[in-house]
Amino acid sequence: MAEDTEWVVESIAGYLGSPEWTIPVADFMENKCTVFDDEDENKLTYTEIHQQYKELVEKLLENYMQEVGINEQQFLHACSSPFAKSKTLQAVFQPVLATDDFQMFRSLMVQKNMELQLQALRMIKERNGALPDCLVDGVDVMSELEQQEMRILQEVLKRSKEEYDLEMARHVQFEEEVGTTSSSCSIDSMPNGMSLKEAVQVQVSSASKVSTVATQKGEKRSAVPPTRDKEQQSPAKLSPALAANLPSEMGSECGKTLPAVRVPPKASAAPTMPRENSSGQAAQSWLEEAHKEAGISKPFAELSAAQQEQLQQRALYLRQQRDKLHALKKEQRPKQATPEDVPAAPTPAPGSQEGVPKKTVGPSTVNPSQPVSNNGQKPKEISVEEKKKLQKRKHLAEKLKEEVIKK
Amino acid sequence: MGEVQKGLFSVIEKLKGNAELELRIVLLGLDNAGKTTLLKQLASEDVNTITPTQGFNIKSVASHGMKLNVWDIGGQRKIRTFWKKYLENTDLLIYVIDSADKKRFEETGMELSELIDEENLKGVPVLIFANKQDLATASPASEIAEGLNLHTYRDREWQIQACSAVSGEGVQDGMNWISNYIVHKKK
Repeated sequence: MAEDTEWVVESIAGYLGSPEWTIPVADFMENKCTVFDDEDENKLTYTEIHQQYKELVEKLLENYMQEVGINEQQFLHACSSPFAKSKTLQAVFQPVLATDDFQMFRSLMVQKNMELQLQALRMIKERNGALPDCLVDGVDVMSELEQQEMRILQEVLKRSKEEYDLEMARHVQFEEEVGTTSSSCSIDSMPNGMSLKEAVQVQVSSASKVSTVATQKGEKRSAVPPTRDKEQQSPAKLSPALAANLPSEMGSECGKTLPAVRVPPKASAAPTMPRENSSGQAAQSWLEEAHKEAGISKPFAELSAAQQEQLQQRALYLRQQRDKLHALKKEQRPKQATPEDVPAAPTPAPGSQEGVPKKTVGPSTVNPSQPVSNNGQKPKEISVEEKKKLQKRKHLAEKLKEEVIKK
Repeated sequence: MGEVQKGLFSVIEKLKGNAELELRIVLLGLDNAGKTTLLKQLASEDVNTITPTQGFNIKSVASHGMKLNVWDIGGQRKIRTFWKKYLENTDLLIYVIDSADKKRFEETGMELSELIDEENLKGVPVLIFANKQDLATASPASEIAEGLNLHTYRDREWQIQACSAVSGEGVQDGMNWISNYIVHKKK
């Protein structure tokens, strides 16, 4: 009988050490552990996950017992024998006992979560050579950085507007010199300095109307220099882009956000690009961003009531889109923090990240919230959020280390 | 299936080989009744930094040679639907009432009677804490007992105990009742 028991215990211990058991259990833990933090209070989802765990273990053990041909009595008998109480076997039995002991289960999950975080930290270190500063000094500068980011954004918007105004002034001057300003065009009948700004506003609110105006103008002024021409045709391209651009862009953006962070130096080069090739086109889109983001500045007052309203609606819509994007990004980030995703991402990042903003410069009038956040804001913003995340990881890691050492 | 499950888990339960007596206690009541404060008081922890519970807390408290595993589950209306997931294998229900919140006596009574009808709590003894007795507007325990119709409970042991979870007054009396009841039952 004693021999019999010993055999059963050995078999059970063998099973608990075999991949048949360890793989599904480890899989389960790795997949579900991310919500387990070291807060005092338990989340209601813990219970649900514990329940799922019970079901998994139950299924595995039942299959095993059936396969080996032992019944529950034998199982119990074997497990309560002194042989099974030895130190080494206790550890093996822990995942089984966790089905009945929520606290034990919780601590297993919390530990697993910390292990994953630690692993992620190590991977960051390996890839970047060293941990970022934010992981070294451990001061929470989140809100400060956020404010800084806002200041930078405002500065960027201001500058882009100035640049645009300058560009426009040059154009007006140029037109006067060449003498192509025709009186037949409705837009040109307005005060000269205003006309293009006005046109830009109209483009946003009613793309179709503008496109006809633009083509008319294009026909009338075939002698106009190419930059001018290009600038006028860009709005015509808008309307189809409007439909196509938004959803696809949003998807690709979100997918790429994290990788972009990994190479902050490269990514930060992106914002300057559009400004350097400050053709009228780029400046135009920048201005519109500026108007949208800054809640519409000077020319706004000079618009008609209907246009103002349209603009405001537009601004509201854009803000909503931006918020949605933020939410999406936030959602994506925790997932990407898991180690499987981390190593997969980095290589394609720099190219695609730079590629996206370039493409959007032209049709950006349609989707103004994007280029700005793309070029000016995004890389910084991500690094900020990432920093916060990393910091949290660091804390966890420290705690884990402490625990390990204590043990 | 159900039976197999029960069998297997009773096996696992026995695996733990607990020498000391372990009790599973569920601590329920409306939001702001003082459940978490009571829990912390039982565990001799600081009761000054308590915020509304969004999930649940567990503490293991040693009392009278027993190990009490006390589960305190949030009492906000939207969480109450989760209560029944925590009732299985419960040895004792502690129900906490804010004795000064007269406007919600009816509501708390409804919740209690729903719990009493739960299959998983069939025959499970109830200890009711008439909490917040430190407040001047608190109703006495006898009045609350009457309002809750406790005297109509025939299928289980029950006890109502006036207390103040903040000061700790009366809490130990309640715990004494638990140990007395358990000692009587198990012997």
